[in-house]
Amino acid sequence: MLLPAFEYHRPTGLAEAFEVLDHYAGKARVLAGGTDLLVNMKRKTVAPKQLVGLERVAELLGVRAGNGRIEIGARETAARLAGAGGIARDLGVLAMAAAKLGSPQVRNLATIGGNLCTARPAADMPLPLLVLDARVVLAGSAGEREVGLDAFFAGPGQTVAQPKEILTKVVIDRAEPGTGGGFVKLGLRRTLEIALVNAAALLTLDVDGKTIKKARVALGAVAPTPIRAPEAERVLLGKVASDELFAHAGEAAKQDARPITDHRGSATFRLEMVSVLTRRALHQAWENAREQ
Amino acid sequence: MKKHPIRLNVNGTEYDLLVAPNRTLTQALREDLGLTGAKHGCGVGDCGSCTVLLNGAPVNSCLVLAVQADGSNITTIEGLAEGTSLHPLQTSFIEKGAIQCGFCTPGMIMSAKALLDHSDRPTAREIREALSGNLCRCTGYQKIVEAVSDAAENMSRGGRKES
Repeated sequence: MLLPAFEYHRPTGLAEAFEVLDHYAGKARVLAGGTDLLVNMKRKTVAPKQLVGLERVAELLGVRAGNGRIEIGARETAARLAGAGGIARDLGVLAMAAAKLGSPQVRNLATIGGNLCTARPAADMPLPLLVLDARVVLAGSAGEREVGLDAFFAGPGQTVAQPKEILTKVVIDRAEPGTGGGFVKLGLRRTLEIALVNAAALLTLDVDGKTIKKARVALGAVAPTPIRAPEAERVLLGKVASDELFAHAGEAAKQDARPITDHRGSATFRLEMVSVLTRRALHQAWENAREQ
Repeated sequence: MKKHPIRLNVNGTEYDLLVAPNRTLTQALREDLGLTGAKHGCGVGDCGSCTVLLNGAPVNSCLVLAVQADGSNITTIEGLAEGTSLHPLQTSFIEKGAIQCGFCTPGMIMSAKALLDHSDRPTAREIREALSGNLCRCTGYQKIVEAVSDAAENMSRGGRKES
């Protein structure tokens, strides 16, 4: 499969990248890892005439912790994030999801910013970031703004980012002690797979090590965008953690999901799996929280 | 389309190229440099036949623009043998019957090489994980896993095995 023709721009910094985007009145597309955009261009579903490659923009690299928050550069790859040891309590759940994305070769290219901007309902990285209450920074020549990830996705393949904006970083708060995460992905095979359903959970336990002080559940491939599961979270909050409680939360999570039937699975099956995956992700989160 | 001058270090040799923006790294390696080891398979990152090491990490070269790779170090299957002496992975693939039609082999070996660069004695599970982005339609994978395991053992026992 051949790529259609386009002009390529190679800015060495963000300011220069914004100039190019402004010059083409937002008609230019940004290229980061390329594992999605180049595939879509080869399949002729998109045909941007101007591409802005970010490979020389060093400002988009790095994971920085400080001031109670962690900033992840948009160009950090899934492979790098999958191996993000050292800050396991904060980024453990992101590492789990990043490790399940695509294949080893794809993980070496695919970026966190790209996985968010692609806005696929079944994407892996949005879920851990939703349970981490992540925000994204959208920047352009006019300045930058911070948008909560729960308000970032607008529909399949759509986000609130403007064509002249670049997603520059993802921001999360440092985790409290007693916090642990879980991520479960269901596919027809183990790798190189798009999730049939995926789920992430984050639990913060009280000082007693049992009571759930904070609960977050996120679901993928069961709605037009990755979603939070408020019904499941409501069931968990303030209760003593147990497998029974997680089963109950799994049932509640069905109320948060609106799956469709497609060639990969029926809505009924997906709904059942929402319950199972939520329970498993919560169990994982619980085990990890108790280790902290 | 305005062409871009790029410099690639491929298997230790510097190349200066002038490439159109829509040229993939697979095309640049195969058509501009004549290094046809990396195969053009699915073209969309599913099959792994075009796997090369980009600054040491395995990537689908069909999903990298040649211009994006400017300034990088690339290792292809052609860079593994030393003269007539095959890399232990190449030897063990032959000995274990891990090659049938051969189309997936360069990509398989490059993924395996990236694994063995970081791991002396990987488990079968780690090998399968490392090769999970490479499809083979002949072997059923078992012999490939055995070949990688064997190569790891030979390498840890005393470096390269002469063929």
